Amino acid sequence: MRCYDFHKATTRRSLLRSSACGFAGLSLAAIANTPAIANTAAAESNARIAHAAAKAKRVIFLFMWGGPSHVDLFDYKPRLNEFAGRAVTPEAYGGKQPPGGTILGSPFKFRQHGDGGVWISELFPQVSRHADRMCVIRSMHTDGSAHGEALLNLHTGTSSLVRPSVGAWVSYGLGSESENLPAFITISPPRGHGGVQNYGCAFLPAMHQGMAIGAAEIPVAKAKISNLTNPEMDRSAQRQQLDLIQSLNHKHLRTAEADAGIEGLIASYELAFRMQSSIPAIMNLSDETLETQALYGIADGPTDNFGRQCLLARKFAEQGVRYIQVSTDYTWDHHQKNNEGLVKECAQVDRPIAGLLTDLERRGMLDDTLVIWGSEFGRTPTAENTDGRNHHPSAFTMWMAGGGVKGGFTYGSTDDFGFHPAENPVHMHDFHATVLHALGLDHKQLTYRYAGRDFRLTDIYGDVQTELFG
Amino acid sequence: MSTSHHVFSRRIALLCCLVITAECSLSSALRAQEAGDSTTAGIAYFEKHVRPLLVERCYECHSGRSSRTEGGLALDNPASWLKGGDSGSTIVPGDPESSLLIRAVRHSSPDLQMPPKEKLSEDEIQHLVNWVQLGAPAPEEDPASTVPHPSDPVAGKSHWAFQPLLEVKVPDVRNVDWARSDIDRFVLARLEQQSLTPVEDASPADLIRRITMVITGLPPSPEHLVQYQSQPTTETLSRIVDELLASPQFGQRWGRHWLDLARYADSNGLDENFLFREAWRYRNWVIDAINADMPYDRFLLEQLAGDLLPYESIEQRDRQRIAAGFLVVGPKVLLGVNPDRQKMDVADEQIETVGRVVLGQTLGCARCHDHKFDPVPARDYYALAGIFTSTRVMEQRFMLNEQRVMERLEGLGPDGNVVDDAYETFYRELPNLRAHGEKSKAVLDLLKQKNEQAIAERLAQDGDGFCDQARDSSIPIDQRIEAQEKYHAAQIEKLTKPPGIPPRAMIPCEADAIHDEAIRKSGKFDRLGDVVPRGFLTVLLDGEPKPLPEKQSGRIELAQWLTNTQTRSGALAARVQANRIWYHVMGRGLVRTVDNFGRTGEAPSHPELLDHLATLMIRENWSLKAMIRHLVLSRTFALSSQSNLTNSAVDPDNALLWRANRRRLDAESLRDAMLQAAGVLEPEPVDSTVAYLGDQATAVGNNAVRRRTDYNFRSVYLPVIRNDLPELFEVFDFANPHFATGARPQTNVPTQGLFLLNDAMVMTAARTTAHRIIDESRDTSLDRRINRMFELILSKTPDEEERRTIAAFLEQTAYRLNEAGDPEPELTALARACHALFVSSRFLFLE
Repeated sequence: MRCYDFHKATTRRSLLRSSACGFAGLSLAAIANTPAIANTAAAESNARIAHAAAKAKRVIFLFMWGGPSHVDLFDYKPRLNEFAGRAVTPEAYGGKQPPGGTILGSPFKFRQHGDGGVWISELFPQVSRHADRMCVIRSMHTDGSAHGEALLNLHTGTSSLVRPSVGAWVSYGLGSESENLPAFITISPPRGHGGVQNYGCAFLPAMHQGMAIGAAEIPVAKAKISNLTNPEMDRSAQRQQLDLIQSLNHKHLRTAEADAGIEGLIASYELAFRMQSSIPAIMNLSDETLETQALYGIADGPTDNFGRQCLLARKFAEQGVRYIQVSTDYTWDHHQKNNEGLVKECAQVDRPIAGLLTDLERRGMLDDTLVIWGSEFGRTPTAENTDGRNHHPSAFTMWMAGGGVKGGFTYGSTDDFGFHPAENPVHMHDFHATVLHALGLDHKQLTYRYAGRDFRLTDIYGDVQTELFG
Repeated sequence: MSTSHHVFSRRIALLCCLVITAECSLSSALRAQEAGDSTTAGIAYFEKHVRPLLVERCYECHSGRSSRTEGGLALDNPASWLKGGDSGSTIVPGDPESSLLIRAVRHSSPDLQMPPKEKLSEDEIQHLVNWVQLGAPAPEEDPASTVPHPSDPVAGKSHWAFQPLLEVKVPDVRNVDWARSDIDRFVLARLEQQSLTPVEDASPADLIRRITMVITGLPPSPEHLVQYQSQPTTETLSRIVDELLASPQFGQRWGRHWLDLARYADSNGLDENFLFREAWRYRNWVIDAINADMPYDRFLLEQLAGDLLPYESIEQRDRQRIAAGFLVVGPKVLLGVNPDRQKMDVADEQIETVGRVVLGQTLGCARCHDHKFDPVPARDYYALAGIFTSTRVMEQRFMLNEQRVMERLEGLGPDGNVVDDAYETFYRELPNLRAHGEKSKAVLDLLKQKNEQAIAERLAQDGDGFCDQARDSSIPIDQRIEAQEKYHAAQIEKLTKPPGIPPRAMIPCEADAIHDEAIRKSGKFDRLGDVVPRGFLTVLLDGEPKPLPEKQSGRIELAQWLTNTQTRSGALAARVQANRIWYHVMGRGLVRTVDNFGRTGEAPSHPELLDHLATLMIRENWSLKAMIRHLVLSRTFALSSQSNLTNSAVDPDNALLWRANRRRLDAESLRDAMLQAAGVLEPEPVDSTVAYLGDQATAVGNNAVRRRTDYNFRSVYLPVIRNDLPELFEVFDFANPHFATGARPQTNVPTQGLFLLNDAMVMTAARTTAHRIIDESRDTSLDRRINRMFELILSKTPDEEERRTIAAFLEQTAYRLNEAGDPEPELTALARACHALFVSSRFLFLE
């Protein structure tokens, strides 16, 4: 947090209220570019849109809730099997005292994939085909050994304070490209472990809050956006009612002499009315070819749900939504039966993720869409309950694809067992800085004035990992 | 402003760091040197590239002005850096390689790496090297050194908000007839200075709706409407205001304003959203205290130290303790946190809340460093922290099968703690009880086999599970079986009849050890600095601070100091509170940043009026009702919300109060007014509305039970589950209950439209209103129905145009519905029209 430069608080809000006739253009950038009001916007916030060289225009974040094991999926550790069933010795740990506990071996076969030779385990056969688009960060680390804390750190950069989520910051920085959709949509978000805080806007204006579709435990085919349809009136009946409402409102507006609040209300009702048809149209997957649906594994048992989520994400991305999060249910928390659990969970997401990458690629969208795969933390190289693994925030793997990052690229490493980062550690703050950078946002400049201070996603931390970009 | 220079230089600093590159700057500096203007160029180089760096990256720890000179090193001016710190001279002019400074910033040796957290960029290092190479030029006398640091509490006393209250003379006005009170004279004098004329008064209907909404959060009763419209005099108004202030609905409205500030919630939020099962007692205490018009100083005292105050009855003791739940109800990170960090985090949350709510200060900023803008050094923060860490709001409790650190509860009533202990013990012991029950069953089965040898063997092995008689082989076996049967039944009885949750509340207590707190360097809980005696904010103290009691946390003294009208703290608290009341009544604060009276907040639009109000409030014993009465009966309050071009050209924001501010109903009024129109609102107070929830207020996985909102009581009683607010609240800008909120945001987003157009609550209220209108009279004329709709929903009479529009809609809609086979076309059409009025701007805005 740079507490230094400050301005008198001015209400950007009044500005937004008067211009709330659509999502499009309501980004900081758009406002600042309007000369008449640029001063107000600049005074409220110090955010500036940085370099134009950024390739990514949007993000799709695939969130694996619970914490999948990095050492079984992307961080190949052959020595785990050598020490399986016993503790690591100091000799094997470079003479240092290794963390205690009994090592749990990994039965999964790893292989290098693509020209870049990215190591991926056999649990992700379909994803592996995209190895040359993947940029794998094996040296992630974060704070918080409990899910709630770690989820909040992942989504908002802090767990002890209520702060805007990454998607809200992106919405604030870039706005939506769509007239009818918000800039930030979260599909099947978790209700627990911080719940709405993980896609909340905290002190940012409310329009930057993520719009939730369903919840993690509900199959997305059954998910609804609340109040998107009227339970009694059909479209034409509702239009007649809305005409009555708007005629009353216009009459009020005439006597109130161009009151910005009433004007904004009139406009927002029209937008709400349009959204009632535009959003269901997007959420209807039947206009996609059977071939596309099959690509995502839709209508194919275990992959159906996550496949639908991924396809929805692509459709929203096409419509100009800036930040789309897709979440699994709370299924990756493998304290017991780690191996069985991973086999089952990976089988549900492997094809959908691969399908998403293929689909984006062939539509020419992968170059400007940053796809992120990851979780709140990894899992211990040691055993818990004999066949499970415990929470492990000190080292884990996340990967990105598209959006200007280097493909077939592996960044950072952990020690021989996956306990701690060995080279190029990337803290969650660094990761956030890097994601914003990919979108052309400088994490040190994207600030918002609240309660007398300028706040930013990365607080006083964060280094952009420039090596990840081609 | 005395600090403007300093702040300015910091801003420049930041800017410079962003735009410069080393290479071009050095060459230009060197070119200047060649031109023979070496000193000037060197100093220019210093000012441009080096001072900003020092300010930005070094002064937090190495400046004589920030009260921190770690390692004995200050880098403020040539004398200080040549003298150096504990490690010797910092700079050898002309010789970067021998300069400690350069070694430190290069991080070349492991024992000397500065800044420790984040290395300077290569460009920045190069600037320093160049500058030392040039001979480390700098102005001899550093002009900045005479400017006090913003956190300097002595210099900071000059800030307007920290001044004693002004004795203000009520100004003379030209238009003497317009003003009804001194408040009006202050307002009018400012308007006349700008040659502005206030607009007309609001219509009686608008005024009565405004006044009732402001005082009770509800639309006016038809009786009040009629009374005032038929006799629109100040006497009538004054009587109506008194009735409204005396009604319990007043506390339900103004109590909610305080609950926003108190970050009230029924669950913890943050990482583990455990239910605050007992928080409602505090909520209801607030509503009761506001209804009783408890003086504000007493109101604060009970909330900060209610558990420490004397009492004359158990009821009074419990009420005061419940009030202190204010300290306990904040959100806390519960799992996976170091206990020391948790202790400091909890205190921080309390300091930030109290500072913001009572003093309009951002004290949390001084946790990691001296405040960057306001006169609050970190020492003062930790002086306050000692008070709060000497207070306990957490305790070990057994919940969800685990011993956990939870919010502190205490039993109510004469033997509350005994009952509470028994309850806690039962659940802690439950696994043992179960095991014992199983054993006594096994023993019973064994006895029934009547095999003495087996019984003896079992007894020798493990006597647990036997009742006394069952052990005794001299007693006939059948008697032993009978005794064991009874014993076993008693065990099962215990298990199946767990004690109910006893009456208890969230109550703080003093910590086991009352102590002063150590400064935490950079706010890190484990980096201890000097220990600071517990105390208050230096900037608000005159004279030597009195030490706080050794055996108590000092919360009583803190509360008394905050509202001591003889000191700067009391003056500030009175200004903040008077401004909050003004804000809620008038729709905008005299200080617009109602929670920030610091240097980054706004100055008051009418400073004399603010001091006048604060003084008035103190004179009237901090009475909330008296202050509201003054405000709502003023001419200023009674103005119409109509804009006009002459005035808005001069004062478009209406800062000078030439008209009333049009404002939108908040979430609670929106809902309550709908239920009221439908005739179903239940205005009585209610107790817990979360009792049916499990210990996880929002849970992971299968959590079928979720907070309900399908009640008809007032919205202030709806469950406030952090991270799972009722949708109405979520959509209509309810205060985020994770932190103190003095002014809710006001947004206009399409989800609000979707809610109003489609939500079941709104549709049901509309249909119920239509039912009511049809059922209450045999008069089936559209005219009557339309009039009644307007009266119930908008508190006004429709004009001809509105009547025609609605009538046409009703007729057409009923016709279509009839064609489509709707069984009750007239009712449904009327319901749709009522719904339309609920969604209309006339309903949503307060004129």
